[in-house]
Amino acid sequence: MNEIRERLTKLINNKYAQICLVVGLLFGSSYMQGGTVQILSFALVSILFTQSIYILTGMTGQISLGHAAFFGVGAYGTAILTKTLGLSLLVSIPLAGVLASLVAFILSYPAGRVKEVYLAMMTLGFGQIFLEVAREWTSLTGGVMGLSGVPSASLGTLVILGAKLTTVDYFRGLLLITVCAVFFVRNFSQSRIGRSLFIVHNSELAAGSVGIERGRTKQLAYALSGLFAGFAGAFYAHLVGYLGPDSFTVTRSIEVLVIAIVGGLWSIGGQIISAIFFTLLPEQLQVFTQYQFIVYGLILTFTLILLRQGIGGLLFASPRFIRPHLRAQAKRQTISSEFLRSNANPTQISVKNITMKFGGLVAVDNVSIDIPAHRITALVGPNGSGKSTLVNLISGVFPPTAGQVFLNDVEVTGRSDVAMAKLGIIRTFQDPRLVPHFTVRENILLGAHAKMTYGWFEAGVGLPRASQQERLALQQCDSIIELLEIADVADQAVESLPYGYRRMTEIGRALMAGPKAILLDEPAAGLSDVEMSRLAEVLKNLKSFGITILLIEHHMDFLTDLVDEVVVLDSGSILFRGSMLEMRKDAGVITAYLGVEGVEHA
Amino acid sequence: MDFFISLVIAGACVGSVYALVAVGLNLTFWTTKTLHFGQGAVMMLSAMSTALLVRHGFSEIVSILLALALVGLMGVVVERIAIRPALKTTGSMGWVIATLGFGIVIQGITARFFGSQAVAFPEVLFKVQDAVVIGGQNVSMQYLAVFCISVLLIVVLETLTRRTVLGTAIQGIAQDIELAVVQGLPVNLIVSGSFFLSSVLAGIAGILVAQIGGTVDPAFGFELVLSGFVAAVLGGMGSSAGALLGGIILGITSKLVGGYISTAAEHGIAFALLVLMLALRPQGFFGRAEVNKA
Repeated sequence: MNEIRERLTKLINNKYAQICLVVGLLFGSSYMQGGTVQILSFALVSILFTQSIYILTGMTGQISLGHAAFFGVGAYGTAILTKTLGLSLLVSIPLAGVLASLVAFILSYPAGRVKEVYLAMMTLGFGQIFLEVAREWTSLTGGVMGLSGVPSASLGTLVILGAKLTTVDYFRGLLLITVCAVFFVRNFSQSRIGRSLFIVHNSELAAGSVGIERGRTKQLAYALSGLFAGFAGAFYAHLVGYLGPDSFTVTRSIEVLVIAIVGGLWSIGGQIISAIFFTLLPEQLQVFTQYQFIVYGLILTFTLILLRQGIGGLLFASPRFIRPHLRAQAKRQTISSEFLRSNANPTQISVKNITMKFGGLVAVDNVSIDIPAHRITALVGPNGSGKSTLVNLISGVFPPTAGQVFLNDVEVTGRSDVAMAKLGIIRTFQDPRLVPHFTVRENILLGAHAKMTYGWFEAGVGLPRASQQERLALQQCDSIIELLEIADVADQAVESLPYGYRRMTEIGRALMAGPKAILLDEPAAGLSDVEMSRLAEVLKNLKSFGITILLIEHHMDFLTDLVDEVVVLDSGSILFRGSMLEMRKDAGVITAYLGVEGVEHA
Repeated sequence: MDFFISLVIAGACVGSVYALVAVGLNLTFWTTKTLHFGQGAVMMLSAMSTALLVRHGFSEIVSILLALALVGLMGVVVERIAIRPALKTTGSMGWVIATLGFGIVIQGITARFFGSQAVAFPEVLFKVQDAVVIGGQNVSMQYLAVFCISVLLIVVLETLTRRTVLGTAIQGIAQDIELAVVQGLPVNLIVSGSFFLSSVLAGIAGILVAQIGGTVDPAFGFELVLSGFVAAVLGGMGSSAGALLGGIILGITSKLVGGYISTAAEHGIAFALLVLMLALRPQGFFGRAEVNKA
């Protein structure tokens, strides 16, 4: 089965196969019946529309039950622009797409504040608002009577630059645009921005820890999703020639969601097959229309539970999120892990009189410490002593109730986690927060997000600047993988790997961000002895590069030969600071942490 | 002024039904942090089957009881087949989609086998023309009965959750489901029960609305469940008193907008309120923001 999948995947990714298919359709369409061309055009519109769900729901994990509204904005937009203002299609369709994108961008502000059920309901409500507007704003949309006489190839009223377009011409144009759109979206998914959408979906905290701005990332996802939905709607308008509000009800929103889910939320290939299937099915099988609702309902009820990855997961290998040719080019040249040194100008983190209260609970109570460069500092203490809270305060996850944080005497108190990450303060989490279906390499590459600067358009088109930055990041990624000795699993999805590798992957992601200081929350927890000694080697290496290191750890044997200084927290206050040797003798520490009788605390 | 008062009264009555829907949504939200997105279809199904049973010669009360039993059972089924497996595997997307799908299946089946035309709903509570005079206003007995039944049900339910062992158990599950399991509470049974009750409440709401409107059709529940959700959000998810107030505010607002501005805006206003409320104060008027220790 896996072999079949690999072969099919190779086939659909084969350049020549793709060209053959497109050229075949371009020429073949002259010999097809008018009805067939029309149906194929509908399938293309559906594919375009599905791209917008891929971006918003598949990548970013934002559910939308009101996507028909963006589709509708695009459709009415171009219809009104061409019919009443007499604009050319060449202007009106792009404008309609931008208009839908703008609406989606505006919706992203309220939508960005809510999640899950609330988001589903909000988008459902938004779709209904659009529908009410389309029904009632009669002077603009024709109201319930609809808008007829939209320039359309099938009516013979479609003219571009003086030439009258036939349905075949329209199909050909639409085909080329859809192909471009699909490649754009695929390239986009294999870029820094595409990958960042996935991590925002899986863990907003982890996204922030490597300098990915969650809010802006989601807004971009909405805007792009709206753009594609708007294009799809615009092409739909000129395909049918008549628009009525009934074409933009919640049914259409659900239909596109069904197509995306059946195709597989992460699989562009699967979604294309699904879009074609659901367009052709009602045409070929008249009886289907009677049961359409029941079938859609059953699919929605069971697909995500039974066949989580849809057709795409069934037929194709999992999609990858690095452009393969860039990976191949990057492999030709290796760079040493010394590049980590260049980032690390010595940075001392200092906290002064810092306090954090949660309601009535004082998690950190008036703590002051310096965490110097060129050293490894360990933070130990019983559960609930405030270790993780301290790391959260330094890394900007939340601002302190009182007190200050400094980097080399520059005050950074209250800066966000994104800002701190951009200053080179990178942290890991107690339980690794990764994108489960990404490979080790893809996860590590997430760390490079803030170092790369190319934008969504460059990513989608694959401009040189994007390729160049990706190549460099991939080379650095290779050397980090080498350093962590995880090359043998680098191209496996992390969800299939044991815990130790996930920890290493997260540390790799932190290194990829080019840290000046690195804060590790229990990096050795769950590691085998072999993995632990490797981690110790890595940390010593990083120390020699001049990276400031703070680690929270319970595992005393791991710390003994590794750390230069240990800080013991108890109930939010510093109980001890000094060497490991002194700590073991300190009476206060023994009572609080090791247990009165000297029995090790679990 | 008379016009204004009659709008307020009609709004409050319809709003009380929204509140009933909202309380039903709250119930499952307490036990599983999920909602049945197909609740609209549940309302339709209960009203539709009542109408059909009465048409086939069953007495009104038997018809209603049978219809409610049917939708209650559907509630249990949807939790078993759509929500429980989805919660285990796919996070929130899974159950939102699955329950939505379940609702569409019910709606599709009804439309397929009973036609998509509106069915006349029998006059179960009083006659359309029955009315009493309150404060110089003619108030329809049907509206009044709907209001009383809804409010009474909400009050009874609220008392039960506050005063009984079962209520305490539900609150316990709402606080911490894992702890409830460890404590030996029959969590699965209570969860199933909450879905049963939630669907029955939705079923009653469906019957009440069908009574006021006079007809029921397969697409009938869609806006109703959205309105119920708006009521729940206005009041703050999980709060019964909030739901009641939220429902009545929503009912009156939309009637007033419909009466004075335009009937077209009557539908839109609920969704506009929803989007605004979620954007500005997602915890509702009465809810408290959750404190998160990251």
